[in-house]
Amino acid sequence: MRRMMQKCIRNFISSNSHSALLLVDIGAWPFHDLLEKYPKRAKNIGIFEPGTISLAAGLSLSGIIPIVYGISPFIAQRSLEQIKLDFAYQKTGGNFLVTGASYDFSALGYSHYCPEDVITLSTIPGVEIVTPGTPSQFETLWKDCHANSNPTYFRMTDHCNTKECSVEFGKAAVLKRGTMGCVICAAETMDKVMAAAKELDVTVLYYTTIVPFDSETLQNEIADIPKRIYLCTPFYKGSITANVVNALKGAEYGIEESGVPLEILRNYGTKDEKDCYCGLSLEQISRSMKSFFYGK
Amino acid sequence: MEQILKEMRKTMLRVSAAGKDGNLQSCFSSLEILWALYNGFLPLSKADISNKNRNRFVLSKGQSNLALMVVLAEKGLIEKSELYTFCQFGSRISMQADRTKFGSLIEASAGSLGHGFPISVGMAWANRMKGSRGRVFCLAGDGEMNEGTMWEAALFSSSEKLNNLTLIVDYNHSLEKMIHVGDMGEKLNAFGFDVIRVDGHDLNQLTDAYHARTQKPVAVLAETIRGWGSKTLMEDRSWFHRYPGNDELEILFKEVDEF
Repeated sequence: MRRMMQKCIRNFISSNSHSALLLVDIGAWPFHDLLEKYPKRAKNIGIFEPGTISLAAGLSLSGIIPIVYGISPFIAQRSLEQIKLDFAYQKTGGNFLVTGASYDFSALGYSHYCPEDVITLSTIPGVEIVTPGTPSQFETLWKDCHANSNPTYFRMTDHCNTKECSVEFGKAAVLKRGTMGCVICAAETMDKVMAAAKELDVTVLYYTTIVPFDSETLQNEIADIPKRIYLCTPFYKGSITANVVNALKGAEYGIEESGVPLEILRNYGTKDEKDCYCGLSLEQISRSMKSFFYGK
Repeated sequence: MEQILKEMRKTMLRVSAAGKDGNLQSCFSSLEILWALYNGFLPLSKADISNKNRNRFVLSKGQSNLALMVVLAEKGLIEKSELYTFCQFGSRISMQADRTKFGSLIEASAGSLGHGFPISVGMAWANRMKGSRGRVFCLAGDGEMNEGTMWEAALFSSSEKLNNLTLIVDYNHSLEKMIHVGDMGEKLNAFGFDVIRVDGHDLNQLTDAYHARTQKPVAVLAETIRGWGSKTLMEDRSWFHRYPGNDELEILFKEVDEF
């Protein structure tokens, strides 16, 4: 996905003189050609994310479309006030591209994790959150919204889905229809959820845009099936639950969720080991879904 | 003090009393800085305000917003009567500015300290990218200079030699009740600025400093006094964040008139 991101940025910076790339010394090397070719508007700024986000806002307020690329916690959390006040409050657009996802850099420890980015940024009205699960989904979502005058957070992962499906900004994809209930998955959990749902008679919706949340598709797809919804995301549990509940408009549903438990993760290891700890391995998701829909 | 500056201070007192809120000490210390800017350095007509080559101004110390609004009203850029909607529900005018209510008249919303200056630096950088001749002026407070983002932005400004950028520091000694930071001018100089020290209540000195262009970003250290123009506001620290009651207005008006 990062290679696709680099391609998209390279095309955009090369083709649009009113664009700028601001790097915070993370993943800078692949852009060395851009930094050399467009030194006035493609820069490795350095290691000060909050100030860099504000600089980007100044560019945006001057008609330049900025891209800031960094690791998720240093953009979504260290610079949270800058996204809130310098973009959302000013009502100006920009693109925040992050690598690291929830705990892609598992061995680096809690400082480099950010399972809270989605729920944190969801509290800032006007900030779009996209969570592509494959390189081509990143490309589609990038094309859809990088120049739409809104602040957009692109959450990238190095652990992409292997299966492909077409996506659209602001729309959930219907991957499968069934009669026992509905499964909602997001970002890199699609492969595991589809494998787990293979033998289950359930509807599966795949969200690559978290904000704005597509309530309409959810409402349409659950209208005629039992009131059972299973959520599976790689974010902190609860990150999209409020959106789902709001879409239900007061109707009573049984809801179960797989996601990252709300705790400080201190166990290092690999991404897969961390998934197992969080209950996000294929086996765990499969067992949990069967139990929820079939009582097994 | 010029009569017009006294009248604007009295207007601030009236508006603050009507709106029942105010940071009058800060507003009084910033008034000459703002008045000098709007007399020759910032666009005043609708056509000029939308010109992409215009000079731009960002109020980073948002607590001086009432002073800015009074200056804009005096220049005919907003109605004087609108000032008296200060802090009312649904108003455009309050303690801090919201740019979305003003178009290009207000270049950036303010409030939380440490934001306006980095945004200004981005604007100055954008002007260079676009080949715009416009300059960017930013007014910060000396207390605000404690914020790390101010120095992050300063690092970038000097690295890029943004000589279209002028940082004005309303040096009203807010810092003196905080940590000891030493000489602000030396620090800004070390961060790559050309530093000009002026009496921040002297319009001629301010004007001369605003004209200055060098090969580097310029920092104007404007030495000011909180509450300048009213004996009470200068001496009583409780006026940092309070508004005058109607019974206090006449006394404060008299102080301003006799200053």
